Amino acid sequence: MTTTRIGAGPARTGPARFRVRGGWRRLAPRPALLAASAAAVAVALVPLVYLGVRTAEAGAGRIVDELWTERVGLLALRSLGLAAVVTVACVLLGVAAAWLVTRTDLPGRRAFAVLAALPLAVPTYIAAFAWVSTVDRLEGFWPAALVLTLCSYPYVFLPVAAALRGADAAQEEVSRSLGRGGWRTFTDVTLRQIRPATAAGALLVALYVLSDFGAVSILRADTFTRAIFIAFDLGFDRTGALVLSCVLVALTVLLLTGETLTRRRGARYARLGGTRRPPARLRLGAARWPALAGLLGVAALALGVPAVSLGRRLASGVSRPGALTEVLAATGNSLGFSLAGAALTMLLALPLGLLTARAPGPLATALDRLAYLAHALPGVVIGLSLIFFGITVAYPLYQKPWLLALAYGTLFLPLAVGAVAGAAAQAPPGLEEVARSLGRGPWTVLRTVTLPLTLPAVGAGAALVFLSCMKELPATLLLRPTGTDTLATELWTHTGVGAYAAAAPYAALLVAISAVPTWLLVARSGLLDKEDR
Amino acid sequence: MSEVVLTGVVKRYGRVAALDGVDLTVPAGELTAVLGPSGCGKTTLLRCLAGFERLDAGEIRLDGRPVAGGGRHVPAHRRRIAVVPQEGALFPHLSVAANVGYGLDRSARRGDRVDEVLALVGLAGYGNRMPHQLSGGQQQRVAVARALAPRPSLVLLDEPFSALDAGLRAGLRHDIREALRADGATAVLVTHDQGEALSVADRVVVLRTGRVVQAGTPTAVYREPADQWVAGFVGEAVLLPATADAGRAATPLGSLPITGAAPDGPVTVLVRPEQVRIVPVAQPGAVAATVLRHDFHGHDALVALRLADGTRITARVWAEREPVPVGAEVAVEVDGAARAWPAPPSPIDLPAIPVG
Amino acid sequence: MPVSARRSTATLVAAGLLSFGLAACGSGGTENADPGKPGDKTITVYSGRNEQLVKPLLDRFSKETGITVKTRYATTAQLAAQLVEEGDRSPADAFFAQDAGALGAVTKRKMFATLPAASVEKVPQTYRSRGGEWVGVSARSRVLAYHADSVPAAELPKSVFELTDPKWKGKIGVAPTNASFQAFVTAIKVQHGEAKAKEFLAGLAANEPQIRENNIKIVEDVHAGTVPVGLVNHYYLGEVAKEQGTTPDALKAKLHFFPGGDTGALVNVAGVGVLKRSAEDPDTRAFVDFLLSAESQKYFAEQTFEYPVVDGVAGPAGVPPLADLDSPDIDLNDLDTLDATIALIKDSGLVP
Repeated sequence: MTTTRIGAGPARTGPARFRVRGGWRRLAPRPALLAASAAAVAVALVPLVYLGVRTAEAGAGRIVDELWTERVGLLALRSLGLAAVVTVACVLLGVAAAWLVTRTDLPGRRAFAVLAALPLAVPTYIAAFAWVSTVDRLEGFWPAALVLTLCSYPYVFLPVAAALRGADAAQEEVSRSLGRGGWRTFTDVTLRQIRPATAAGALLVALYVLSDFGAVSILRADTFTRAIFIAFDLGFDRTGALVLSCVLVALTVLLLTGETLTRRRGARYARLGGTRRPPARLRLGAARWPALAGLLGVAALALGVPAVSLGRRLASGVSRPGALTEVLAATGNSLGFSLAGAALTMLLALPLGLLTARAPGPLATALDRLAYLAHALPGVVIGLSLIFFGITVAYPLYQKPWLLALAYGTLFLPLAVGAVAGAAAQAPPGLEEVARSLGRGPWTVLRTVTLPLTLPAVGAGAALVFLSCMKELPATLLLRPTGTDTLATELWTHTGVGAYAAAAPYAALLVAISAVPTWLLVARSGLLDKEDR
Repeated sequence: MSEVVLTGVVKRYGRVAALDGVDLTVPAGELTAVLGPSGCGKTTLLRCLAGFERLDAGEIRLDGRPVAGGGRHVPAHRRRIAVVPQEGALFPHLSVAANVGYGLDRSARRGDRVDEVLALVGLAGYGNRMPHQLSGGQQQRVAVARALAPRPSLVLLDEPFSALDAGLRAGLRHDIREALRADGATAVLVTHDQGEALSVADRVVVLRTGRVVQAGTPTAVYREPADQWVAGFVGEAVLLPATADAGRAATPLGSLPITGAAPDGPVTVLVRPEQVRIVPVAQPGAVAATVLRHDFHGHDALVALRLADGTRITARVWAEREPVPVGAEVAVEVDGAARAWPAPPSPIDLPAIPVG
Repeated sequence: MPVSARRSTATLVAAGLLSFGLAACGSGGTENADPGKPGDKTITVYSGRNEQLVKPLLDRFSKETGITVKTRYATTAQLAAQLVEEGDRSPADAFFAQDAGALGAVTKRKMFATLPAASVEKVPQTYRSRGGEWVGVSARSRVLAYHADSVPAAELPKSVFELTDPKWKGKIGVAPTNASFQAFVTAIKVQHGEAKAKEFLAGLAANEPQIRENNIKIVEDVHAGTVPVGLVNHYYLGEVAKEQGTTPDALKAKLHFFPGGDTGALVNVAGVGVLKRSAEDPDTRAFVDFLLSAESQKYFAEQTFEYPVVDGVAGPAGVPPLADLDSPDIDLNDLDTLDATIALIKDSGLVP
């Protein structure tokens, strides 16, 4: 299992090594943890149940008609192609940026660490909109790939930067002492050290691309998600849309299987004993100018283009957002729903994260993978499935904030599980054992040792979920309480009538608020620490 | 102060028996070292004592009161058995004082017990530091103070000195032993380092593949090891084929008095290197030998020698002025008695023990 | 500084986040899905029409009647899907939709009550459902928007079918996923048969039109001159003008109404339907009546640049009156063969 995930951050202090023989250490009784994990996964699978029910209603004939077409094959290929291109681009960009800010003497590297993470705060629909307003006739596969890469490379950058920062220099020094040059050492040792972090980030990017609707619909890249949205729009064809969604689930299974198979067994990259020394920073020399230009260029494309475009829209239009109270209400709702979403998601993720961290095995892996299944479904499908769930099972919750929070939970559970698993590594089981040997019961140990040590990393995970909730639009539209607006829905409302100037402040607020948790994630990864001596 | 008694303790991981019927008594107020090579089950033994693992068979009693076995499993936090893990495992988010006070109840935390035990381990005045501001040795001392603070029935130390450098280790060992003794604690120290076990423990228990091979005072274990394996494990051993006859054995080093219950006839005898003395050539009773190698250790030196008949032995030489040159012809003689076991010895599979 | 300080800050932040989130949820549930009782002076409206366009009108309704309107805004298509998913347990009293197609989809599920004849008879039969399940409240015409500088009025096509001519290659803006475009294609089918519709779509696709997400984007691009002509609804010109702080006349984008009963000048409606459980709810009735009142009709004409559907209210400025439009003779009730239309649009390759 990889435990390096976004927000996990490097272990700063604390014992470096504990015996792992025996595997399971009782933090909570295993059956209880298993049951809670299974319950969380069950919640995450509500959309799949819905898909199953509705698809079965369609009947075999309809399903075959809908799926057995050249068009579906093409869409699937294009979606996978887009996911592949964006993932590769994000890995290249993310690893390069991470390496530059953690391992070189690049001037202003702390500022660049923030800049490289900040695109997380920009929803793809804002970025894509900015690009089409800036470059005429921008549409299709490659522009979508560009925008998606610019928006999602932080998913690779953050965990890889944390891993590079936490990696021990000794292995690289050994490699060089054995005669491997700088580049061979990088490919043979460094890249392998950060492999789990890279893979975890790449998986998130791939799933994100599969489920994204903002960039693909605005830039008209004909992917599955766009086809699903269009199927809803075209004649309100719910069944067709849902049957198509099943293919998206199948693609997700394909991706997850591929990722699981390529994951090497027992690939633990633990550091054994000794004190960690930060690796020496490479002197870039004259190479620092192209490096600077590259990072500045990426930041300009990812952040500058949306900023300039928003500014121009604000300047050229005459519409203005509603009264301050409306803006404040939307901000408050965005914060409230996103906080509720983050809280509920972390609650669901807690048992599953602990299970994967403390009792790794086929069962934990299976549950962890299952939690990813709904992650690639478009928000509109999640929204409809939660409507179905609310209407048939949880009517008292229907159109209440909690149901929206639950939708966020099913959408973003994988992000949270990763963070909890990473957090559990911050509180090694040995510490809990010591605490119990000093006469403290399990609950006291949880309160006085486990929680204080894991909360920061769990908080980083919550920050990631929080900003994902802030940006989410389709499910929010369907599930928000009647009569309430969020920043994202206001943005949608105003752009719907071309009132871009009125929309711009909402977009700016959305990005500004999302920037706070993004900054937290960067700080958590230790990228802002002064460590150079 | 409590006595701990283990009877027939078995712990399996899958099909591997990590503990295969351990019988052991830890006397109250003493420091008992459990000594064995990696994988002998000593850490499992500690975890079973602490209550982190359930027994598969056998029983553990604390002051006559069963805490594990026979379907009973008193959870770790109700055993009053405190653990000092490898590398300390201090709570990184708590100050030194809060770490030490962790096992104390609220009122005791305000009392002077924290300062008392910190003084005991030589860290008076360090209460406000954070763990990462301490050196490795200081962290270990805090871990011991934290374990001692609630006056547990038993303190378990899991190779607490292994991560420290040699110079620091000896001093810390001594200090911690004194601290344990001053506090009247009963303690079990788990280690693979025979020097550590022999120097600090009141009693040494040698564990091998999940079984107790020998238990006794450090002197007894060193001087009268239960078998050749123990002999080799607890120190440098010269093992020689010999023939016993009426309390003496004829060996390549001459006729030596023997101890141990070996019958007359072929035996194997143990001579410790420090029993072997290098003497001027042609002294009566001495045996001629050639110097093969000379390993200088500062306070002493180990000299490898070959006897005329080809037998190789080791001698420990103290405070010599001039090292004997390699290749020199010398003579050797043996002080004291040799430990004898019935022979023929099977090819002895001695564990590789680093000299020193 | 000590890691511990940063750690505890982060802990606090995290704990704060969680507790605030929980608190937000605890107190956030003031709005709920309670459908309410008839006559409780509260109604729930699902609006597929944009909040910016209709909220002032709904506020006016509340002010005049004292009836609170809880409004749920989303795309018309999504709300239709939501209503169908909710079925009998829907908290909605009325569905205010952007186009007749969505109203038809909900009608097919038999979820709408029959509206009182007295209310809907003000509206011409062609703008309401035959069974009385929904009624149009404002009308819009399909038009060709064109950039005044790059397309001389003399060169404007007489019929929408001329747009398949190669001379328009790459010059036409289209939003094929838009419901009004679908209604237009259905109208071709009704008026000229499926073969003609297929031929038109194939010709349009062959002309490599500039696909846009929605009508407003087309009008913007036409105004900017990047797209010479575009198939849209007429009132988007008004919305773009509003954002530019000017009147429709001042825009570079102009409207061309196809003459001679051409399918390209189809008139469609935005309308409202009442869910069955609110069939007898006086509040919901008041709402429908309000939408058809002279006051509301005037609002549509002045604020959203749409055509009123009730006699005696003046139409929007700057466009020919509805009565003068040479629109095709098509009953909106006949535009319910959506599935076939969608198959046609999909086959044409205009959408993925």
